[in-house]
Amino acid sequence: MRVIDYITVSFLVVPIIIILINNLLSKHIAKRISFYLVGAAAVLQIAASVADFFLLPYYKLHEYKFTLLWNIDNPDSEYFAVNSLSLVILFCIGFVTFISVLIAKHTIDRKKVSYVNLLMTLIFGMNGMLIVTDLFSLYVFLEIVGISSFVLIALFKSETGLEGSFKYLVMSSLASIFVLTGLAFVFMHVGSLQYENISKYILSGHGSSRLYLMYAGMILLIAGFATKSGAVPFHSWLPDAHQSADTAISVLLSGIVIKVAGVYGLIILSRLFDGIPAVNLTLLVMGTVSIIVGALLALKQDHFKRIVAYSSVSQVGYMLLGVGAGGTLGLLGAVTHIFNHATFKCTLFSNAAALHEQTGTLDINDMGGLHEKMPVTGFSSVTAFLSTAGIPPFSGFWSKLLIVMALWMNDFKVFAGIALFSSIFTASYFLRLQKKVFFGKVPNKYEYVKEIGGSIKYAEIFLTIIMIAVGLAFPLALLYLKGRGIL
Amino acid sequence: MFSYDMFNTLMDSISSFLSHGANIILFMIVLPLIWGIIGWLLKKNYLLQLAVVVLSSTINILFALSLYLSKGFYVTFPFASSGLDIAFNIYKFSALFLMFIAIGFFLVTLYGTAFLRNEKHAGIFLLYMYISLAILNGAILSDNLGVMLFFWEGLLCTLFGMLVTNNEQKPRAAVKALVLSGTADLLLMLGIIITVYRAGTPFISQMGKLSITGVSTVGFMCMMLGAIGKAGCMPFHSWIPVAAGDAPVPFMVAFPGAIEKLLGIYLAVRIVIDIYDFRSGSISSIVIMVIGTLTIIFAVAMALIQKDMKRLLSYHAISQVGYMVLGIGTALPIGIIGGLFHMLNNAIYKSCLFMTAGSIEKQTGTTDLKKVGGLGKRMPITMICFMISGFAIAGLPPFNGFFSKELIFDAALESHLIFYLGALLGAFMTAVSFLKMGRAAFSGPLKFPENSPGKLASGKNGFHESNISVRESDIGMLLPMVIMAFLSIIFGIINTLPLDKLLGSALGYNKTYSGWPHSMLLVVVSFIILGLALLDHIYGYRKTGSAINAADHIHYAPLLKNIYNAAEKQWFDPYNHLMYVVNGFSTFCTLVERSISWVYDYGAVKIVEGAGNLLHRLNNGSLSRYLFAAVAGVAGIVVIFLVVLL
Repeated sequence: MRVIDYITVSFLVVPIIIILINNLLSKHIAKRISFYLVGAAAVLQIAASVADFFLLPYYKLHEYKFTLLWNIDNPDSEYFAVNSLSLVILFCIGFVTFISVLIAKHTIDRKKVSYVNLLMTLIFGMNGMLIVTDLFSLYVFLEIVGISSFVLIALFKSETGLEGSFKYLVMSSLASIFVLTGLAFVFMHVGSLQYENISKYILSGHGSSRLYLMYAGMILLIAGFATKSGAVPFHSWLPDAHQSADTAISVLLSGIVIKVAGVYGLIILSRLFDGIPAVNLTLLVMGTVSIIVGALLALKQDHFKRIVAYSSVSQVGYMLLGVGAGGTLGLLGAVTHIFNHATFKCTLFSNAAALHEQTGTLDINDMGGLHEKMPVTGFSSVTAFLSTAGIPPFSGFWSKLLIVMALWMNDFKVFAGIALFSSIFTASYFLRLQKKVFFGKVPNKYEYVKEIGGSIKYAEIFLTIIMIAVGLAFPLALLYLKGRGIL
Repeated sequence: MFSYDMFNTLMDSISSFLSHGANIILFMIVLPLIWGIIGWLLKKNYLLQLAVVVLSSTINILFALSLYLSKGFYVTFPFASSGLDIAFNIYKFSALFLMFIAIGFFLVTLYGTAFLRNEKHAGIFLLYMYISLAILNGAILSDNLGVMLFFWEGLLCTLFGMLVTNNEQKPRAAVKALVLSGTADLLLMLGIIITVYRAGTPFISQMGKLSITGVSTVGFMCMMLGAIGKAGCMPFHSWIPVAAGDAPVPFMVAFPGAIEKLLGIYLAVRIVIDIYDFRSGSISSIVIMVIGTLTIIFAVAMALIQKDMKRLLSYHAISQVGYMVLGIGTALPIGIIGGLFHMLNNAIYKSCLFMTAGSIEKQTGTTDLKKVGGLGKRMPITMICFMISGFAIAGLPPFNGFFSKELIFDAALESHLIFYLGALLGAFMTAVSFLKMGRAAFSGPLKFPENSPGKLASGKNGFHESNISVRESDIGMLLPMVIMAFLSIIFGIINTLPLDKLLGSALGYNKTYSGWPHSMLLVVVSFIILGLALLDHIYGYRKTGSAINAADHIHYAPLLKNIYNAAEKQWFDPYNHLMYVVNGFSTFCTLVERSISWVYDYGAVKIVEGAGNLLHRLNNGSLSRYLFAAVAGVAGIVVIFLVVLL
């Protein structure tokens, strides 16, 4: 076996092993080391994805296929695969998990073992979604992601947590119905749910004939994954779920789950149904509506985490625009935005955790002038805001630029204009947030507030450096991708 | 021994050194800046500043002289794109102006340093002067019109800076100068754009001669107005009298007296001989001549009634530009060389006149003719310098002003009688006003204000009431004055030197214009005019009994009185009319801006807020509504699919 075999298998094996260790140990020991276990899993995942990313060109592979546990002898049944796209998202999973643990060290002090078990299940589900090669397996892992998310949100049994979780559960069931029905329709026509077979079927020209059930399948699949991604008008569960969960869990949900469960699914669909303009147009319209409606709703909120959650809706819109634009450039823009959004959403939720730990509230009308009291939090928050708004030279600028360029070059000029224009909305709701929280006069009750210490502070510093460094080094990354022939 | 050959070898080596690489930029432009910074850092250290001025000016004169004596060369420095190349063209004409500037700069700066001795602004004055020198050198050397414009605008900055440093609280003159000179520069910029567009190249040496037709007429007029506007011609003049009240004398000597005229007239001549095919008798020629004649008459008429030396001189500074513009506007070789010669002479005697006014101000604390008088006994050298320059400006032989004026009269008469008559009227009033000013300041009983600074100057032997006196200025101020007055005589008596040796050869004229004016008739008429001026002065003196009011009978003559009243209320000041237009425009812009702001501040906010509220109310937490929204979403996707597929 080659090195790449071991490394790639680890995406599925490591979470299972961590779950086993976590449960086989006595409760007493497990409580103490559980966070380190997650941290180790996150680091391993980051290392594995980076190593794989650079091993792919070494083995001259476009896509690395492999199997696990069963049907090993049958060469036709290599039903797992990784490519550069999924590796980038796998990297993001590891990254966000790591930040989540850094925050959890401050915010979670009971039910640590359950948190770790569920977190590992969640990661197992997300990793699985990224490496499968057929729609049904994708659906199975999607359910794993969904169910572990419900429980994570409701883990601490707070009233709002249970409510948020319930809403998510209802909307997810709806999504499951959509996806499952859609799969059934597609299966009726194609006879298989393998990505390759569906692509072949569409390319062979059947897609253009009037096969209403096939189209119905597409519509339902798009609706299902759009629900999972939180795009408007399927977004209604998202703010409740993300706001009511513990911050360490909100980071995961907002930072990566919606993207893997939703946006990645839509990326797969757009690639499978390539050449059907209706799919692209649907994604573009949904993306535009998401950007504007998400931003308008964020403008009206007073809760720090709720604003950030609505901002996720708005930013998912940008990713959909990138996916909908089609072509390598659009996809690259979407994936880069997934990574950038992960960094700045992590930063903002770290800020939320820091603010909640130090002031006890997240109502932005209560705060003010905290920049002086918490300089690291304030600085990282402003950086995240600038990055989200797409101000050069921060990282967010580049991904938005790629998306707008892709839209322009693929002749979706109206959407490009809207995407550019709605950056104003992003800037406006974040400016409001920043102004109310970090600038102005400090209320008397926060006279003695101090900067947060420990892992959250380190997370903030680390993320700020990443946002600036990625922004500055992004042209180099583009050159590298060009050298690898991806662009 | 030092011989002529050695001198030649030295000049050759300097000029070949300058022609290599970027040396010309370093030594003609960067070096003055460095000198300026050194002078600035010296602040109030008079002797060291004097040393810096003498040393730097000597070096600068040597450089300019070597360039003038060299065969000339062309250097380019590639820059961003081909149209922006910095190109320097060193040939006879430009090098000659470099030399004038180098010598003029030396005298003016020397005077200024002495005048501002131990004063707060001495350092910053030097800095601005040296920056101006660098800019002037750059503007004169540039072959690229765009690069020249860059330097040209730089002079506006130093002009503004100098006016502001002296009057930081209420920079009235500075703002006025900025607006008017800025308008002239804007016209120049427009003209340059049109010219470059028509010629297809920004380099003057490649332009050939553009004919003045169609759009080119606009380009020519804009460039010409910009150039003569810089020189202080109407209608860009009205800041100069204001500055005379606010700014220190060294500024007046330097800027309106010498620098701006040198640069403005230099460009005007370049335009008419190098860039455009400017012909005598054409419409544009007549327009330029009308501007020149009007400037002569109106400015000198205003000068006539002034009771303050600096203001009076500042109006003369404007009126003399009129002669140059008239001369150049004739488009005849005799007119052009006359205009240039007059520019040179004017720089000499006008600087000298401002310097004498400065000396009087330094000693008595004022230049108001009502408060001073009879200073000739106390300040004899100043008086002699004033007389020489006064005779020169009035056009009395054998001083330099006479010869240049006769050339311009000759050219004007050749164009049309009316211009000649206008110029004669100007000459008459010039003579009258200088008779008045000279007699009021220097003859009669001694009088000066009680609080003259002369008291302090003489205070080093202990403070005694008996020491309150006005005396001759010190050597640093006298020397430039004397040199200027001496030059006035030299350029008059040996007028072949400036006319044929310098200007004529630089312009490439074969004909000689030097010597006694060839038309005896013109000379006789000029003498009659001067005689009339003397008679008028004597009449006015007899009538009012004092020299200062000798011109009042003209001031209060019927009809003229009303015009003067209007002028004193600044009805003729183009600045005020410009300001009406500007204010109207800004009111309009404010309205537009307000309404746009309203859209941003209220309109857009209300729309966004309304949309936000609506959406907020729709998301009320009811699950059934959320499910309905999801189903509606699916329906929406169906609609999109149907639209695309059908």
